[in-house]
Amino acid sequence: MHCHQFHPRQLSRRDMLRRCAMGFGGVAMQALLHEEAQAGTVRTNNPLAPRVPHFSAKARNVIFLYMDGGPSQVDTFDYKPLLEKYHGRDPREVIGELAPTQFDNVGKVLKSQWAFKQRGESGAWVSDLFPYLADPEVIDELAFIKSMTSKFSEHTSANYFLHTGSGLQGRPSMGAWFGYGLGTMNQNLPGFVVLNGGLIPPGGLDCFGSGFLPAAYQGSIFLPRDQPIANIRPQESNPELQVNKLKLIDQLDRSILDASGYDSEIEGAIQNYETAFRMQSSVPELMDLRGEPESVKKLYGLEADYKNTQTFGLQCLLARRLVERGVRFIELTCPNGNGDRWDQHGKLFDGHTKNCQTVDQPIAALIKDLKRTGLLESTLVVWAGEFGRTPFAQGDDGRDHNPFGFTVWMAGGGVKGGVSVGETDEWGYKAVQDRFEMFDLHATMLHLLGVEHTKSTYRFSGRDMRLTDVHGHVIKKVLG
Amino acid sequence: MTRGLKIFASLFAFVGAAQAEFATPDEGLRFFEEKIRPVLAEKCYSCHSADADKLKGALQVDHLEHLIAGGETGPSVVAGKPEESLLVEAMSYSNRDLQMPPKEKLAPAIVDDFRLWIKAGAPWPEEPVPLAGGKSAPEAFDLEKRREQHWCWKPITDPVIPGVRMKDWPRSPIDHFILHRLEEAGLRPAGPADDRTWLRRVYFDLTGLPPSLAEIDRFLDDTSTERREKVVDELLASPHYGEKWARHWMDLVRYAETYGHEFDYPIHFAHEYRDYLIRAFNEDLPFDQFAREHIAGDLIAKPRINEAENFNESVLGTGFWFLNEATHAPTDVLANEADHMSNQIDVYSKAFLGLTVSCARCHDHKFDAISTADYYALTGYLHSSARTERSMDPGGKRAAAAARQREILTKADASLPARSPVPPFEKNPVAGLFANFENGDLPPGWSIVGEAFAPTGTGAGFTLEEGALYTTPGTVSSIRLGEAHSGALRSPTFTIEGDEIHVRLRARGGMMRVVIDNYHMAVHQPLLFRGTVHKEPDTKGAFTWMRFDGDLTKYRGHRAYLEFVDPGPGYYEIDEIRFSKEAGTVDQDKTSGNPSTTISKEVEDLLAEGRRLAASLPPERFSLTMAEGTPERGNIYVRGSHRSLGGEVPLRFLEALGAKEGNRLTLAGETVSPNNPLTSRVIVNRLWHHLIGHGIVASVDDFGPMGQLPTHPELLDWLAGDLVKNGWSLKHTIRQIVLSQTYAQASVPHPDIDLTILSTADPTNALLHRMPVRRLPAEAIRDGILAVSGSLDATLYGPSIPTHRTDFMSGRGARESGPLDGGGRRTIYGSIYRNFLSPFLMTFDMPNPFGPKGNRGASNVPAQALALMNDPFVIDQGKRWADRILADTGLEESTRIARMYEAVTSRVPDAETTAALATFLKNQATVYGASDSRAWADLAHVLLNQKDFIYLR
Repeated sequence: MHCHQFHPRQLSRRDMLRRCAMGFGGVAMQALLHEEAQAGTVRTNNPLAPRVPHFSAKARNVIFLYMDGGPSQVDTFDYKPLLEKYHGRDPREVIGELAPTQFDNVGKVLKSQWAFKQRGESGAWVSDLFPYLADPEVIDELAFIKSMTSKFSEHTSANYFLHTGSGLQGRPSMGAWFGYGLGTMNQNLPGFVVLNGGLIPPGGLDCFGSGFLPAAYQGSIFLPRDQPIANIRPQESNPELQVNKLKLIDQLDRSILDASGYDSEIEGAIQNYETAFRMQSSVPELMDLRGEPESVKKLYGLEADYKNTQTFGLQCLLARRLVERGVRFIELTCPNGNGDRWDQHGKLFDGHTKNCQTVDQPIAALIKDLKRTGLLESTLVVWAGEFGRTPFAQGDDGRDHNPFGFTVWMAGGGVKGGVSVGETDEWGYKAVQDRFEMFDLHATMLHLLGVEHTKSTYRFSGRDMRLTDVHGHVIKKVLG
Repeated sequence: MTRGLKIFASLFAFVGAAQAEFATPDEGLRFFEEKIRPVLAEKCYSCHSADADKLKGALQVDHLEHLIAGGETGPSVVAGKPEESLLVEAMSYSNRDLQMPPKEKLAPAIVDDFRLWIKAGAPWPEEPVPLAGGKSAPEAFDLEKRREQHWCWKPITDPVIPGVRMKDWPRSPIDHFILHRLEEAGLRPAGPADDRTWLRRVYFDLTGLPPSLAEIDRFLDDTSTERREKVVDELLASPHYGEKWARHWMDLVRYAETYGHEFDYPIHFAHEYRDYLIRAFNEDLPFDQFAREHIAGDLIAKPRINEAENFNESVLGTGFWFLNEATHAPTDVLANEADHMSNQIDVYSKAFLGLTVSCARCHDHKFDAISTADYYALTGYLHSSARTERSMDPGGKRAAAAARQREILTKADASLPARSPVPPFEKNPVAGLFANFENGDLPPGWSIVGEAFAPTGTGAGFTLEEGALYTTPGTVSSIRLGEAHSGALRSPTFTIEGDEIHVRLRARGGMMRVVIDNYHMAVHQPLLFRGTVHKEPDTKGAFTWMRFDGDLTKYRGHRAYLEFVDPGPGYYEIDEIRFSKEAGTVDQDKTSGNPSTTISKEVEDLLAEGRRLAASLPPERFSLTMAEGTPERGNIYVRGSHRSLGGEVPLRFLEALGAKEGNRLTLAGETVSPNNPLTSRVIVNRLWHHLIGHGIVASVDDFGPMGQLPTHPELLDWLAGDLVKNGWSLKHTIRQIVLSQTYAQASVPHPDIDLTILSTADPTNALLHRMPVRRLPAEAIRDGILAVSGSLDATLYGPSIPTHRTDFMSGRGARESGPLDGGGRRTIYGSIYRNFLSPFLMTFDMPNPFGPKGNRGASNVPAQALALMNDPFVIDQGKRWADRILADTGLEESTRIARMYEAVTSRVPDAETTAALATFLKNQATVYGASDSRAWADLAHVLLNQKDFIYLR
């Protein structure tokens, strides 16, 4: 049911003049007051209106697969035969001096319990943890960065750093920066959607906040259920009741708009009711999978035996549907119940097995499905945790946090598949060649969507703030 | 070149001596050309040569002279000494903060080449020295020049009140300044806002609440010429005024009640600071005093005493320093401290001075007259201070009881025979003595907060605790007055040198800890700080050695202090403290030396009186405050890295404002000194911002060169001068502004204004040709809904109401959900949990509490519409309102409708509107199939969704 009450009336010449004097003025004032300084394009009244990038780029959307807790690089993609040779030895003797670890409980050198093989035409090393990703059709789409680093050994700061480029709380998340720089293509859905698999990462909702950017850019948490976001379900028992209300609200507001001299803020607020009304139906429509073929549901693992595979499969399928609907930035968080996220301080075998079982099939399905629908070219997929894990044990059967060298990968829009950039040392401990920082990851992601990271700035606190602060280099070797 | 030549002369002499490495000088140079120069050129020149696009770290490696001169971190090469050469340190990746080249670690063999080359005296052929500074030599930092060039540092002028043509328009000097500029621009002010609009405006601006129907009527019925003044004075005197304006200040001090990060641990007693603010605004505490109390309220000689409850108000202001976020288990505790201090300085400098001093943490400010030394001078104040939870002792009852108890004990002690000195330990631990308390005084640098702790002295002494009749001589004890008193004992700051700290004491309850680099979170989560906190120790009445150990080993070389906290129940009696690697032994129980005299009836009675006093003490009430710590100088961290120490700086104020040295009281004095033009300008600008919608300086927290210029500099100075002349009374300035003609303008331009001129001369309304339309802040929307529905509970002060938690607010550290309506209390009394902020308030731009935010902005997004349409809180309030209005059965439908409309908008509906509302009621009743309260609840809901509710015209 649609409400057709929301079209502004014809304006007189005098109204138009007044709007020129005040309406556009209002925009300029807003810019002034909020210390905004966006390179490039003229801002409209709608903070989420799509904007032209700094340069043309293939990617338009981002799907960020956030691997909460820190997957182990040496058990997944960073193959280190030396660990087998020195398995069980004291790492201080064979590796040398170790940096402080979070739990300060250093055990022996620990080899991977999974076999590695080279996969696809690219010959990428993949352990047995990822049988679906190992499919040549998928693996050759991936570009690995094996020399990523973080500044923090502790989850919260590292999560903020990965998400916002700062270890402190309260800064804008990547998704917010993308919304700020580029807007979004669907005005009936938020521009930054977090598909929550069940876990909110350490650091809480501030991992998805808009920080000092306007609130319009903050991530909206979608729970995987009929009513995924707050306040989206009308409280009225009968749709007509709400339509009556909205009609009356509109009628009352129109007379105020008139009396306020067509104040642009009031006009914008009225417009928001129309959008909100449409969101009430566009959001449930998004969640309604009845139109998806059974084969697609199966591909994503919606019928898998392991419940978390179903959950993450649903998240991946929804991610594709969000991309189809033009949502700029989509982040997926992990389901609960796989041990403590990817954070295997102990029971590494059990925890990593479950985590991989959860994400492997759905992610492979997502890549295939995006390829099938032609969306992969314009969709950047990023897989990353906040740090990696130590090549030596914590206690007997765990691995501690390791921010000094770990693996992330990218695929899709503008990414050169089948490459591997950077290396850790022979232990898989510290990045030694082409050492990258989170700033470089962020700069590259922005670049792939046509945003020059040094030019996407927001004046706050007396500085032109950036996602990449004063750092960041585009990782050229992963560009297609 | 002279210097270069001199270096060469000495260099060749050195090479001559270094025969061990190279047989001849030529061989050394060949080695350089083959092994060293290519590496420098390939790996380093892009950032560290005259040809670098952007020279990094002020270091060039394209000539030995530059290498020896070094960059920001000091000399890069010390010829002959590879182990002292930073170049080698950086290349070997041994220092986490200094790793070069940044993207790859060079092969060990290459680093060895450099070692050899430097050992040989770093031979370099004679050649011209490339220009220092590279292509992009930045302009040298010239603080004085910057200070002279930027407006905000200039003294406040006493501007002439400008003349105007529309002579009958102005009511105050403010209006002259505004009108003068409008007339210059060929514009004119808007017509006056009607009475109802003005009244609504002033109610929300001063109290954050709408006028009630009775209040509207009373104003409209008042025919006196001073009726606006009367209303303004009433509102300024209302307790709701403080609730509104305290919240503005809370935005600046990132007020919150939890620490955020992973587990969102509580910041205990934060609400006492919030209540302090409300009282301070309500009492119109002069702003200079307000600032003094914030910065150094604990040091003020004659603190301000709360009139109603008789406690020290001044000290509560210092709580703002400690409302920062905090994480547990930082692997680098010093970096963690540096981040906190940066946040503290950011809050202090923006809130009071409108300056971005924290921008100078890593380098001299890029734009402003603020140096890195300025920044680290301020960190010195934080290093020299301590965080403490302090008993407020309302009514001074505890202090009075303590005084009387001490009198009693002194009398009782007189009956005791002199006690022989306690013999020394037979087996003294070999460890280094840090403190004993033998001579009866507190040793230098030790400090005490609260009533409980005192040195026992050398003689015998009674206590008021049953079962522990005597204090132990030569200790610091918290048992003398009995267990009911609270307090904290703090050691001077020291450097951790051993692996263990031993404390000989007897104790029960409370907490003792080593606070390392001001890290306070170990009490919540011991990870990485195991063995540094003992909670609730119990030595069963006997003296014993307890030790801090465990992770303490990791913190050798760090600064720390000891803290013993007795919260009331329990006691401490501390005999001595030793730093060692070995456990001490208990070789003697000092209490055995106690006299065994019989106690006379008289003494019994005295002690009984003292115990009765202890039993009658009111419960403790604590606040989070600052206290003096061990004086320490600030130390520059080069490029912001705590691993690269630069020079020390004395405790002093900003150089651009006189650099006066002194303690925190001096800092407070300088902050509000007449010679400082910033503080008064910054605060009047904030008041203007909140009342007019945008500041005279739009960037309210940044008056520096990156901020905006003032639109009306003379007005800003006039307001600042007027504030100071009127005793820094904020109510005075607010009164001036809201009673001006400027504030009384309508929000639409004057009908006769020239729109062509307007569109070019004042498109942003910076000149104020009308009052801007403003959206209500989040708190006023929620409070307004409660007020209109009749659910508002006007209770002042007290512990916060837990946040209502929705399904979408999950995560670690989640607390019990609070009531949907927040207990009907005003929003300022709602909890602020950093990780579980109220989505309703956030949707309407309540800031996340991480740094100062003087300008919230007012976003305009569909989520706001969804919240007002579908949030259960709004729906519920609509129902309550409907029930309340229907309970008054004597009212006609049309009267009910009109009253409801007026309650929300402060306006009377016209006939057309009333008819539309009545029709709506009928339509809803038709859908429901019954005419009952549901339709009225829907009407209430509609009215709360009006733009005329959330926008002030």
